[in-house]
Amino acid sequence: MSSSEKRLPPGTTESNARLHKWLQRGLFVCLTALALEGTFTFPGLMVWYGFPDLSLVEMCSELSKVRYSDDSRECIFPHPLFAPSEAAGQKTSQDKWGVQPKPQYKRIGFRELVKIRDERLARQAAAKQAQASERR
Amino acid sequence: MNTKTSIDHDRRRRRALLVFQILIYGYLFGAWALQLYMYAHRDW
Amino acid sequence: MSTASFELDVPSAYDDHQSASREAQRKADRWMLPGAILMTTAVLGPIGFPLFLKGMAEQRKALLQGLAVRPMICTLLGYLVIMDSGLNSIGWSLDLIAHHSLISRTLVTAWGNMFDSGYFWHYNELWIGGATAPGEKGWEIALVPTVFCMRLAAAIGFLQMKRWGHQWLIVTCWFGVIYWVGYVANMTVFADLRYAHVVFPVWGWWLYDIFYITPFLAIPYLHTVNREIFSD
Repeated sequence: MSSSEKRLPPGTTESNARLHKWLQRGLFVCLTALALEGTFTFPGLMVWYGFPDLSLVEMCSELSKVRYSDDSRECIFPHPLFAPSEAAGQKTSQDKWGVQPKPQYKRIGFRELVKIRDERLARQAAAKQAQASERR
Repeated sequence: MNTKTSIDHDRRRRRALLVFQILIYGYLFGAWALQLYMYAHRDW
Repeated sequence: MSTASFELDVPSAYDDHQSASREAQRKADRWMLPGAILMTTAVLGPIGFPLFLKGMAEQRKALLQGLAVRPMICTLLGYLVIMDSGLNSIGWSLDLIAHHSLISRTLVTAWGNMFDSGYFWHYNELWIGGATAPGEKGWEIALVPTVFCMRLAAAIGFLQMKRWGHQWLIVTCWFGVIYWVGYVANMTVFADLRYAHVVFPVWGWWLYDIFYITPFLAIPYLHTVNREIFSD
């Protein structure tokens, strides 16, 4: 009887032992990775897109402004239950149409949505002030 | 005799599984490489 | 032959071993099942993962004690398939049914903007709502009620070491090969749309989704394991 006899798990023969060992390691790596991804996706996305400077509803609105290239789009929360899709019939999105549609919106950098929102508010405030002073 | 056939069978099965692994990961690698090539040559 | 019954010591020791094994397996599963379910919700993963690891430690302890518990690889495979199908189902069910919830309109479109424009471009413009990438809705409707449910059921049977669980896990993992091949092909054909102006083109999606290759890791094991360990 060999003193270095290894106990094989049930179902695994000697010829498959190495294969099963590496498969087990691969499975554990995938499981850990999925757990980590699940944990960090939501907080990671929220921080990238401006939380806590932007609330979830504001983030939703900013994303839809970028998506449809329309500064007036807002996310209605809560969306009415049986209403049609929120963007049905929209006409403002910028795309180069063809068999391969090419969207024209810009890439959103780290917390850039906050900057976009602040710049837009500043622009709107300046425009309002200009209008007010014109009337005077 | 029986053992020899089953060892043979086992070996052939493992070879087929290896071929499958090479094909499927090869396909994924190929698709990834193709996408990277597109990324390098298009305005994404 | 006499039909008189007689008592032996051996069956009792065997019975003790069997009941101790069953109890040890149940104890391990009592940690792993809630752990896996919590990890499947994604956001509750930080709670689920330690629970799952605790269950794995219990299982390993039982294995080292020589109890007749499920092999560790079967445990990992079964729970990973549950997580894989669960995570996919949750994501795609949100897109199919809950596309106008705040969480979808924020989280899903944010994910889309970062990794895969199919979940950002014209999101919620279609009559059916949700993602608008060519072919995406077809994949969702085809896979969620079929493969992902079947994989979940097969994984449960597999964890119970049932023969049908082993067989159906083989079938559904080969399904998994089909959907991987098809989904990646669709993404590649419409790559201009899927990757244009996302934060992390190509790299992001692949690094994120490569860990869903459970079917490819399962198939070699399922075809080389000795089927006798699975009972009817």
